Amino acid sequence: MIVQATHTVLFYLIAALALVMALSVVFSRKLLRAAIALMGVLALTAGLYILLGAEFLAGVQVLVYVGGIVVLIVFAIMLTRSSDLLEDQPTLPRALLGAFVGLVFLVMSSAVFFSSPFQADTSGAQVTDDTVAIGRSLLDYGPKGYVLPFEIISLLLLAAAIGGIVIARKIPAPSQPFTSGGDLPGEADFTQPRSQREEA
Amino acid sequence: MQNAMSMILVAATGPWAAKTVAERASESLDTSLWAVAAYMVLALLAVVVLVTLLGLVLIYAERKIAGRFQCRVGPMRVGPHGLLQTVADTFKLLLKEDIIPTRADQAMHLLAPFLCMGATVLIIAVLPYSPTMQILDLNIGVLFVTAVSGFGVMGILLGGWSSNNKWSLIGAMRSGAQIISYEISATLALLVVVLFAGTMSLRGIVESQEAGWWIWRAHGVGLISFIVYLIASTAEINRTPFDIPEGESELTAGFHAEYSGLRFSFFFLSEFINMFIVSALAATLFLGGWMPFHIGGWTTFNNVMGLIPPSLWFAGKNLFVIFVIMWFRWTFPRLRVDQLMRLEWKILLPIGFANLMAASLVVLSNFYFFPGK
Repeated sequence: MIVQATHTVLFYLIAALALVMALSVVFSRKLLRAAIALMGVLALTAGLYILLGAEFLAGVQVLVYVGGIVVLIVFAIMLTRSSDLLEDQPTLPRALLGAFVGLVFLVMSSAVFFSSPFQADTSGAQVTDDTVAIGRSLLDYGPKGYVLPFEIISLLLLAAAIGGIVIARKIPAPSQPFTSGGDLPGEADFTQPRSQREEA
Repeated sequence: MQNAMSMILVAATGPWAAKTVAERASESLDTSLWAVAAYMVLALLAVVVLVTLLGLVLIYAERKIAGRFQCRVGPMRVGPHGLLQTVADTFKLLLKEDIIPTRADQAMHLLAPFLCMGATVLIIAVLPYSPTMQILDLNIGVLFVTAVSGFGVMGILLGGWSSNNKWSLIGAMRSGAQIISYEISATLALLVVVLFAGTMSLRGIVESQEAGWWIWRAHGVGLISFIVYLIASTAEINRTPFDIPEGESELTAGFHAEYSGLRFSFFFLSEFINMFIVSALAATLFLGGWMPFHIGGWTTFNNVMGLIPPSLWFAGKNLFVIFVIMWFRWTFPRLRVDQLMRLEWKILLPIGFANLMAASLVVLSNFYFFPGK
């Protein structure tokens, strides 16, 4: 009994906090605060997963979103100008575009919300959170396996990683001082023999 | 005499009845709620005492070891052999004024140290110290540890950004870049042990090393991943030779330059506790945790080794790894940023991937020393 009550109290506590955080993501005028509130929402979602008995999913949620996505967002904010300067008014086309995108998203999410039946599972079946089972079904190429999406996502991530490297790679410019073919700043291109090397 | 010896041996060879505080609490849930509350208080108290003691001991040890490495004696004035030096320093820190820079983002400035400290304390609760000394054993233990350390990164980034100081910002950026780079190698090294043990639960990993520790049972694969883990996690906790985020000669103090008093001590303490966590994980995953030094099949030898209590085994291994990390700090010079990135992306990462493949071959062919059960 007491366990059930604790579960219920925890659920409403986490849900309410997550809602408050989500609202402050949207309404905060400071970008970094919005990012931190987003971190709160994602971490609290992991809390909901734990309440549902899906510990592995909760761990992955925190690992990917808090440790990866939000850190990336904060990095991007830190690389751009200070959030104090965020005062310029958006132009009319931009505001219209933003409103349109927001409206489309609202329609989509409310369609999903109202079309799902939200039936409570009263059978009392416990969710099995078995990492071994998850791993097996990820690599299973039978009718219920997920090996094809898994491989497609792997290829996609590999392509994204290679693309990132290509964009970030330094292109050697021999006429400029302090650039070289190597990755050491200010050093000559040591892959060339000494006679052909251009003195910087 | 003979009788006493055999009794001791029986006591030593009995199976380790591993039980966590959380399990005891959930058992007493049906009988008495007060017992559950008592277990909760006990767990909280244990964490608080452990954090305090670790802070005192590790900071004192660091200063003494630094002294020895530099041919000095280290702190000597407060208490016998300077034993109370850290206590005095703690009081000094608590009495200091708590300064928030005028143009800082106040709420974020206050939040950052708590994020760092919170991540650290959450990890302390899942470590297995001995069969009966563990607060909670998660079946996603290793994943939990890697995931929660993400909050620590956020604390550092936030602290550096909200101080509104260019040195803090640069320090935080360097620290963030360093941590998320080296996290990959550290996780690859941890994955090798997860592959060997077949479980992510920390207790399960310790129990899987009954026939021998993973560092030597897998023909060098375990040793390589131990070394990779040690290097990568030294970088993750921002210690020399990877301390460019703090680099006092160029960035004053990096991300915590604008912190003082209690909040500074939170950053400082969480750095030292993180060192403990790294060595505890290294001891648990590669050196057998609380498992005594066993060699599969050598029953008498194993019995003799079993006479030493498991918590002492854990403490000994842990202190050894902590000493090695401190040894790094007072021996190696600081790396440059480009050297740091090259070490990770061009050296450690390929080694980590190759090692993971070798480990999966070892696991597939069951090619261990003492394959056991």
